[in-house]
Amino acid sequence: MHILLGSFAFLCIFPFIYVIIISLSSEQSLSLQGYRLIPEEWSLEAYKYLWQVRSQIFRAYGVTLFVTIVGTILSVSVIALYAYAISRKQFLYRKQFTFIAFFTMLFSGGMVPFYIVMTQFLGLKNSIWALILPMTVNAFYIIIMRTFFQRSVPEAILESARIDGAGEFRIFLRIVIPLAIPGIATIALFNTLAYWNDWFNALLFIDDPNLVPLQSLLMRIENNLDFIRQNAMLSTQNGSILGSIPQDSARMAMVVIATLPIALSYPFFQKYFVKGLTIGSVKE
Amino acid sequence: MKKLCLLLVMLVGSVSLLIACGGEEDVGSHSDASENGEGNGESGKGDDVLDPVTLTWYLIGTPQQDLDVVMEEVNEYTEEKINATIDLRLLDWGEFDERLQVITTSGEEYDIAFTSSWANNYSLNARRGAFIELDNLMDEYGEEMKELIDPAFLEGAQVDGKLYAVPTNKEVGQQAVLSFNNELVEKHNLDISTVNSLADLEPLLAVIKEEESDVTPIATFDAYLPFDSILQEEMPFAFRLEGNTDEVVNKYEEEATMETLKVMHDYYKKGYIRPDAATSTDSWPLETPNWFVRKELYQPYAEHVWSRSAGYEIVTRPLHEPYVFNNSVTGSMQAISNTSENPERAMMFLNLLNSDPYLRNLIDKGIEGVHYEENEDGTINDLPARVERFNMPSFAIGNQLILKLYEDEPADKWDAFEEFNENAIPSPVLGFYFDTNPVRTEIAAISNVTSEFSPALLKGAVDPEEYIPEFNKKLYEAGMQKVLDEIQSQYDEWRDNQ
Repeated sequence: MHILLGSFAFLCIFPFIYVIIISLSSEQSLSLQGYRLIPEEWSLEAYKYLWQVRSQIFRAYGVTLFVTIVGTILSVSVIALYAYAISRKQFLYRKQFTFIAFFTMLFSGGMVPFYIVMTQFLGLKNSIWALILPMTVNAFYIIIMRTFFQRSVPEAILESARIDGAGEFRIFLRIVIPLAIPGIATIALFNTLAYWNDWFNALLFIDDPNLVPLQSLLMRIENNLDFIRQNAMLSTQNGSILGSIPQDSARMAMVVIATLPIALSYPFFQKYFVKGLTIGSVKE
Repeated sequence: MKKLCLLLVMLVGSVSLLIACGGEEDVGSHSDASENGEGNGESGKGDDVLDPVTLTWYLIGTPQQDLDVVMEEVNEYTEEKINATIDLRLLDWGEFDERLQVITTSGEEYDIAFTSSWANNYSLNARRGAFIELDNLMDEYGEEMKELIDPAFLEGAQVDGKLYAVPTNKEVGQQAVLSFNNELVEKHNLDISTVNSLADLEPLLAVIKEEESDVTPIATFDAYLPFDSILQEEMPFAFRLEGNTDEVVNKYEEEATMETLKVMHDYYKKGYIRPDAATSTDSWPLETPNWFVRKELYQPYAEHVWSRSAGYEIVTRPLHEPYVFNNSVTGSMQAISNTSENPERAMMFLNLLNSDPYLRNLIDKGIEGVHYEENEDGTINDLPARVERFNMPSFAIGNQLILKLYEDEPADKWDAFEEFNENAIPSPVLGFYFDTNPVRTEIAAISNVTSEFSPALLKGAVDPEEYIPEFNKKLYEAGMQKVLDEIQSQYDEWRDNQ
């Protein structure tokens, strides 16, 4: 049994190990032999290349970190507040507010209206908020949180707190939040992942190279390669354009440094993770 | 209850405050732009002093670190000349198309954008009214530029008889060449002067296959076919370049195609082409000398450029005469947006960009002394700063023939371009753009069939005698005949109006 599970786990992390191996192979052996498990020639060239463009990568790292931290905090607060409100039976308009959130899960406006609202009404083009605000409220997480509050925070506790003289704010901060920690941690993890991995908002709204997050940087490099390969028109210029784009091993090295931190943060959330999901997923 | 309401209000309040903070900058620039717009109306044209405006320019290319530094100089110059500052936004290769599509459909305000046959589709955008028509503006504000640009560009870039973008003056013809790794040519004493077609390669490939086990003789390419394709290269609709050129044909039914693909397949069977050619997307970087022959598009002295980026010598043999195709004249252009508030000024800027060597070189090569140094004879050398922080896509910006030459470039490079352009043969359908609207569903179906068959066929991976008939059968099932008829009728109408 252990051997079976062990080999399954190995299969799961194997692709990532492979990526690390490729990032440590020399470019010459990659283009001559293709990807190998044990490359002919090991090389740190890729990481040296990344070190050369460190100012750009550090900046992208900074943007991603800022967006992830601020975004997660903001997002979890908004979601928790919204979900708590609609989880309380005393709240008169809970049905309406639930519907408002739920409705957006069924229909979305589409990309162009989204773009128009973001750039022309909110003026968020080339602003760091364009990376944070669109993902702040997620209807699905609101529903999960609402159910979680209803399940794990018994009405009787709130009742007793009220009798002891606590106001709504105090009840929420002192009683509801501590009881709902597993749920909140789950939502926080989801959000952290979403913010860390987001590249699409940057693709739409960010021209300024100083505001490009890490994943978007990776995505751009990949897209550029594909695009240049497919366009024969560019071939006479190919030398200089392809030259400005990192080679295979450098791209894999970028994948490694873009993925590692988030993979390492997983264990810290894990103890809440299972509990939060199982309770949260039961809907009424 | 009341407190909960209060909470909600606070929440909404704080979120909108955040939004307001983020948006401040942009709101400011917006009001700027509208003031400029009003101002421009009064100033009109002529000798009056022009009101200051800012022009937004979307250009393809990887964003460069030193862009701001260079643009400061550029703006100083353009302010003095036409009292306009340029807000140049570089969007990366892979995202340019998608971004501009969203920007166009959302009606966002901008002034100038890069457009071409392969990114931010020129004819499509021109037809749907995203760009303004330039003929009058060009006569009025683009005199100098009009004289410099090869007439074949201005003619071939017309959609329905009107010009919607300023073409970049560069090589007007398109010529496919075979380029060879000269190290291997010399090592085995091969004679490439006899190679004029794909079939002539055979004896050379046999030697390489025999003697060089580490080298793949052919760096995967699509076989060259003598047609001018309507829509994308792999799609079947095309006009012949020789013989009866007035008739649209399915190029996969032509004898020439069958012959070429048979040769390709023969090479594949003999192991000159990589076994996974049809599906592989691996590029063949020039720096890695693991190939013997490849196919490229040529421009005068391209072998120098290629040799420089490869690090060893590359020699070429042409596969055909240079032709002027729609794709080659619309390969790189600048259009003025329909949403532009200052189209006149945008045209003045384009005129300056294409005719003023100082401005053109400044945007392309950067600042003298910082990004490059000039020798006494007027040639230049890159300084490290240009390679590292200011590497602009030269061919996408504007008139190439007024650029400074590098020290190791032939002094007659631009003369050779002009000669090349003069000798290029206009394709029979130059200036004809097919309107796909009437047969959109058929084209989608045909495109699916094509992407299933053409990569394997064109790269030689399958036997054409077996697969081409099957391919054609599926093409006709997908509505091939209807599309051919539609192209033919549009073409006849277009030709009668010439």
